[in-house]
Amino acid sequence: MQVAIQGPWSPLLGRLTLSAIPYTNPILVGTFAVAALIALVVAGAVLYYKKLGYLWREWLTTVDHKKIGVMYIIVGLVMFFRAFVDGLMMRTQQAMAIGPHSPGVLGAQHGYLPPFHFDQVYSAHGTIMILFAATPLLTGLTNVVVPLQIGARDMAFPYMNALSLWLTTAGAILVMLSLFVGDFSSAGWVGLIPLTELPYSPGVGVDYWMWAIQISSIGTTLNAINMIVTIIKMRAPGMGWFRVPVFTWTTLSTNIIGLTAFPILGVVLALLGADRYLGTHFFTAGNGGNLMLYTNMFWIWGHPEVYFLVLPAFGIFSEIIPTFSEKPLFGYTTMVAATFAIAGISWAVWLHHFFTMGAGADVNGFFSIATMLVGIPTGVKVFNWMFTLYRGRLTFTTPMLWALAGLFLLLVGGITGMMLAIPAINYTVHNSVFVIAHFHCMVLLVAAAIFAGVVYWFPKVFGFQLDEKNGLMFFWSFITATAIVFTAMFALGFQGETRRLDYIFNPAWRPMLWTEEAGMMLYLVSIFYFLRMLYVSLRDRVPVASDPWGTARTLEFLTHSPVPFYNFAVTPQVNARDELAWRREHGLDKAQPEAFEPIHMPSNTGVPIIIGMLSLTLGFGLIWRIWWMAGFSLLAIIIAVIIRSFDKNLGYELKPEEVAAMERNLATASIIAEQPARTPLTEAEAH
Amino acid sequence: MRLKLSALKPLATLPALLALAGCDTGNYRLFHPLTAVAKVQWWATLFEAGIMSLIIVPTAILIAWFIWRYRKSANAKYDPAWSHSLVLEVLVWGVPLVIVAICSLISIRTTLDVEPYAPAVLAKNPADTAPLDIDVIATDWQWLFIYPQQHVAAIDELVVPENSVVHLRLTSTAVVNDFFIPQIAPMIDVMPGMRTEDTFDTPDPGSYTGFSADFSGAGFSWMQFHTHIVTPAGFGAWVAQAAASPVQLSYQEFTKLAQPTVNEGNKPSYFSNAASNLFDNVVTAAQAGVVYPVPDNVTKQVASLEDGGTAATTK
Repeated sequence: MQVAIQGPWSPLLGRLTLSAIPYTNPILVGTFAVAALIALVVAGAVLYYKKLGYLWREWLTTVDHKKIGVMYIIVGLVMFFRAFVDGLMMRTQQAMAIGPHSPGVLGAQHGYLPPFHFDQVYSAHGTIMILFAATPLLTGLTNVVVPLQIGARDMAFPYMNALSLWLTTAGAILVMLSLFVGDFSSAGWVGLIPLTELPYSPGVGVDYWMWAIQISSIGTTLNAINMIVTIIKMRAPGMGWFRVPVFTWTTLSTNIIGLTAFPILGVVLALLGADRYLGTHFFTAGNGGNLMLYTNMFWIWGHPEVYFLVLPAFGIFSEIIPTFSEKPLFGYTTMVAATFAIAGISWAVWLHHFFTMGAGADVNGFFSIATMLVGIPTGVKVFNWMFTLYRGRLTFTTPMLWALAGLFLLLVGGITGMMLAIPAINYTVHNSVFVIAHFHCMVLLVAAAIFAGVVYWFPKVFGFQLDEKNGLMFFWSFITATAIVFTAMFALGFQGETRRLDYIFNPAWRPMLWTEEAGMMLYLVSIFYFLRMLYVSLRDRVPVASDPWGTARTLEFLTHSPVPFYNFAVTPQVNARDELAWRREHGLDKAQPEAFEPIHMPSNTGVPIIIGMLSLTLGFGLIWRIWWMAGFSLLAIIIAVIIRSFDKNLGYELKPEEVAAMERNLATASIIAEQPARTPLTEAEAH
Repeated sequence: MRLKLSALKPLATLPALLALAGCDTGNYRLFHPLTAVAKVQWWATLFEAGIMSLIIVPTAILIAWFIWRYRKSANAKYDPAWSHSLVLEVLVWGVPLVIVAICSLISIRTTLDVEPYAPAVLAKNPADTAPLDIDVIATDWQWLFIYPQQHVAAIDELVVPENSVVHLRLTSTAVVNDFFIPQIAPMIDVMPGMRTEDTFDTPDPGSYTGFSADFSGAGFSWMQFHTHIVTPAGFGAWVAQAAASPVQLSYQEFTKLAQPTVNEGNKPSYFSNAASNLFDNVVTAAQAGVVYPVPDNVTKQVASLEDGGTAATTK
């Protein structure tokens, strides 16, 4: 049943041979040297400062939603940087390989990347940015913020939360591994069909892409379940549905999308896997297969995925703009309604990703109107933010600047999106870089929201602010670079440049391609300021109050900064929609609890990271067709799950006096602090 | 409400005007539509950009003005409790609703006008003669144009007479491509085992570049074809030239030239006696599971100077 594959295969190593290691490619050897150096420095530092035990006990085995969120964000930032370098490589190749007489270096006929390499780079750029950068960054932010914002102790399922993180991390590691062992997919982040079928992609590239997404999307689905349950079941007393902060609302809607959309991706990738491994014909052009079925199913996930990213971004704007306007959000009810309207319509628009398939005017007309309907609730949101600014008292901290820049990106993305929604226009710019510029406006809006959110909530988690001076430089260089690169790209779209070109056949595009490259250089400057912002902030560590901004409005800024690992010493009673603003008005924001009660906390566990790493070896075994490795990993995962299900650990209890002591000395309760070993509750104590 | 939205409306048409008048637009191919179909597409683009600007530009200006007006240091009127207004909330839903309704009408109208299989805009002005049928087959990574009525075929060169309507049937041997000639023909997917159609008119003679818009593997960047709209006499001469080609296009010949090939410079080649059922045979073969595999070593060689260079796959 298993299909024949090209090239050698051995029972011990599967398809893996020495030639899979790209030791002759100077770019990859250089990358490996840098990666190995960083790994050595980090590992050396951990060992030198004797932090290995701390790292294992406090971070790798943690079930604390804030630490998990922080690790999600670290994974996301690393992958964001990787995918930015991919983008830089693409832009540089296109700036070099213009016209038939353009020179080539490093073995390429034009530019420095032959198509074999370039196609992997652009495929990795898209796959990583969407699934391994934006998604973990947003999941990280929601992980950190939502339980605090609704006054919960932790997520509903802390163990499953850790499992989600390590499955996502396993997927990210697989993508990175494809740099140094084998190849990545050349068929785009969408997995262009039937290019991903064995006759056209016989190597391991598509398998890397497929299994990395498959494993991480299981993590995303589990996280969606966790978030939905947390928001429905764990809100603090008094927080009725109309007192739920808008960021939590958007997180709820986005995870409903996640829970319903990601399984479709899982199925479509599994069917593709069946085609590649078992020789079935789900998506082949012949033998009864239907390749457009793949395209439909992919985008039935793919379009909701866009809103999966953008809705939390809208939620972040809805927190930050009121805070720095010193006013409540305008039109709270319509904002929530608009959020769910967007989430709902997101299910009915997928076909606009392939208006050109020749479906006919009726089908295209339906999906055109459905797509434009999204413009209504999105317009509502923009107007609501605008009226929130009206008669406010605006301060331009970096989170506020990011949020406001995001509004302008949304306006540009919105007008071009409405244009693309019209099939007659789409027939001229579909698959052109106009589309790329349009959706980069949207995903860079998400990036702007992520940076806004990270700066906004960073002091809450770590107890000190990120440096505003370097943050401002980071903001201005990043936004200017964005304006340069994507204005030029819109122009190229109207000049008729298509996407994914390794070689530029039309020299007339040179000026705009070079403009883009100049913008990319400015992005490099912004990375410098980002790193300097981190360095200066970590060096100075200026302590902040529980509300570092002074005008924050929601519950998470009621508890201390840095937030204690148990979140709130006493679960707060919620009195208003903007609880902190309400308490400030009534002079209650500084009130301290008089007595403490015991706090029940979940115990750490190493099972999630073990399952995560076994998923990594399972994926690696499947990619290289090393059946013993895949089989062993799968068996070990099943055994780990069974063992965990018989685990009788009931968590531990913090005694009131222990809480009181930590409230007096907050440094001992921060998520950085090492906690003493605590004995789990016995069955008798729990009752 | 004292926001004077109406005063800002004339500004809305500015961006389009600037784009048109402000700079040399010679390279902006989509700004210069040639065919009736492309003219509708460009008109739709302008109209949509204009009507969206009516709402986007004033919004952008208002946001910018509020940012300036209500900065803390300006000590402008501060209303910390204001967060609801029924009139405004009706407006924020109503205005986008009206805009979307107008855009929907435009969308339906223009979609029918340029429908690639049978554009309404061409039905209104029927050409004198019956449409010229051409079969298009995308291979990895060339374009084959078969003229069933003329019994000739050409690789990477599409020649059509002026003042006619051209009707294309398209399919692919291996993977999915997108057929596109900016200024002339709407983009349409080209899929193996399936048939799509595309239609355009040819008002004036001229030469244009067509290409694949959808990534189809390592040779994709070189997958252009020459498009020439010529006089009827010129078309006759071109057909005669192709008909004189010694290479006859049978299905067996086709399976040879459909192997993965990068045609650098898109040098045209011609075929006589093209089999009239070749297009249908290619579609049927793909449905029956015929593939034209691209092994990894071919992919690695395209435009690469490693491993023996480009010779293996280029003509």
